[in-house]
Amino acid sequence: MNSTSEKSDYLLLFRGADWHRGLSPDEIQKTMTVWMAWFNRLIEEGRCKGGQSLGPDSKVVSGKMKNVVDGPYAEAKESVAGYFLLTVGSLEEAAEIAQECPTLSYGTTVEVRPLLARCAASEMAAKPALVHA
Amino acid sequence: MEAAGKAPSPTASEADVPQLTEHLFRQESGKLVSVLTGIFGADRLQMAEDVVQEALVRAMQTWPYQGVPKNPAAWLMQTAKHLALDLVRREKRFHEKQPEIIAQVEGQAGDAEDPPSLDGEIKDDRLRLMFTCCHPLIPPDSQAALSLKTLCGLGTTEIAAAFLTTEAAIAKRLTRARQRIQEQKIPFEIPCGPELASRLDGVRQTLLLLFNEGYKASSGETLVREDICAEAIRLTTLLAEHPAGNQPRTHALLALMLLNGARLPARVDSDGNILRLKEQNRSLWNREMIARGIMHLGRSAAGDELSEYHLHAGIAACHDTAADDASTDWRQILALYDRLAAMDDSPVIALNRAVAVANVHGPAQGLKAVQAISGRAELSSYYLLYAVLGEFESQLDNDLVAASHFHRAAQLADLKSEQAFLAQRLRDCEERLKSQPTPARGCL
Repeated sequence: MNSTSEKSDYLLLFRGADWHRGLSPDEIQKTMTVWMAWFNRLIEEGRCKGGQSLGPDSKVVSGKMKNVVDGPYAEAKESVAGYFLLTVGSLEEAAEIAQECPTLSYGTTVEVRPLLARCAASEMAAKPALVHA
Repeated sequence: MEAAGKAPSPTASEADVPQLTEHLFRQESGKLVSVLTGIFGADRLQMAEDVVQEALVRAMQTWPYQGVPKNPAAWLMQTAKHLALDLVRREKRFHEKQPEIIAQVEGQAGDAEDPPSLDGEIKDDRLRLMFTCCHPLIPPDSQAALSLKTLCGLGTTEIAAAFLTTEAAIAKRLTRARQRIQEQKIPFEIPCGPELASRLDGVRQTLLLLFNEGYKASSGETLVREDICAEAIRLTTLLAEHPAGNQPRTHALLALMLLNGARLPARVDSDGNILRLKEQNRSLWNREMIARGIMHLGRSAAGDELSEYHLHAGIAACHDTAADDASTDWRQILALYDRLAAMDDSPVIALNRAVAVANVHGPAQGLKAVQAISGRAELSSYYLLYAVLGEFESQLDNDLVAASHFHRAAQLADLKSEQAFLAQRLRDCEERLKSQPTPARGCL
């Protein structure tokens, strides 16, 4: 129904929470500036709808007994440190964006995952008449 | 609508977002470590450094999405204090002092957007940390490294690059310094009474050492080295402006740094080659620094003492205020070197004096002055001795001898830019030798 109809949502999951330990204040500032410029560009291009970093503390809940334990669940280098929500044409395009991640050289890894639920939901929202037909 | 997915707060792409000043994190880090050391105590310096690191990382993780706060420095201070309080509440070892610390921090903590005026207190803390880092019980090279790390916010990699050594070596110096502070219970305070004078001397010596590290040569890491000079100037300014450090000798030290630092931008050409004073483009000299330097030189004359800093600053002022190389007042410079040599029998000073002698009385007299240096043996592996000798001999048209001096100098020089400069001087000599019809003098 519009130009975004061929686009779908993808999550970029940034992994690695301990790569910045040895950085100097100058390097932190530079990294932040580069990261900010990258994020803002993606927003302006309409390819990114939002993003956030995740805090270090976590709880892990599991099992029939609904056990709650203190995280982090994974090792620092494997745990998710933040995400971007992208709206782009293909998984390949999302992966190309992931390749631009400014901290890859510091050891960040980026996982690219399509969001399935959102597509279904938006289709339903776009064609309400069908539901009641 | 689609835009609802966008972050609700203004994004950094909007025009009114404050641009971060260069090195903001570095500079704020120095302040924050000082303030937190005041909270934790000097024996927990590492803890203060870690908390500050965490606060900067928090900024890195949130500002890209929330935008840069209106007052970035206040945000960092607030965040660092919150993290510090969390730590104090969690750590058992703070149990006794906990209520006291919390009251102290909360008493200071204002609204992040509208911080109370704490400038004076921060300056006091920075000066306290300066006296801690420059304590005589810490080895001098560790003092310098620790000051750069804690007071100036440089990383180990940057310090290693500036000191032309490895990161591991710097890390070792830092660890040693922090251990000394703990073992010797070095306090976090500005000394008073008779102790202040001697401790101030120590602080000034370390600041000069820092400046010299940055100044002594340009290498591939030119930027880092100029940064070190700038940091030394910043710390010395802090000292000179503080009642505890506001003394003629401090102003003389600051003048020395400003007047020499002002010439740094002209010291190498665009390819990184070293330029001699007479080859430098004087319009690149930093006029503002020269003006500040002259002002502090004036304030250094307030008492009747004449320190080595005064003389060095005076020499730099002679160079800086000369319109061109030809109008340099070499007689005045020689007079200042004479007084310096009377105070300090360092052979390096004597070597510099010999250059002034040559400029006033000619290269032959310069050579004699070098030969007369009493501790000359100490200079036998100092590349500048041979560079100076080569220069004098070349001016006297003894190109064969000059060439052998430049050759030796190039072998001894550490830095590529210096080696390249000396190699060029050597080639100049060899060119002239080739164009001479007969090498009549049997120099070798």
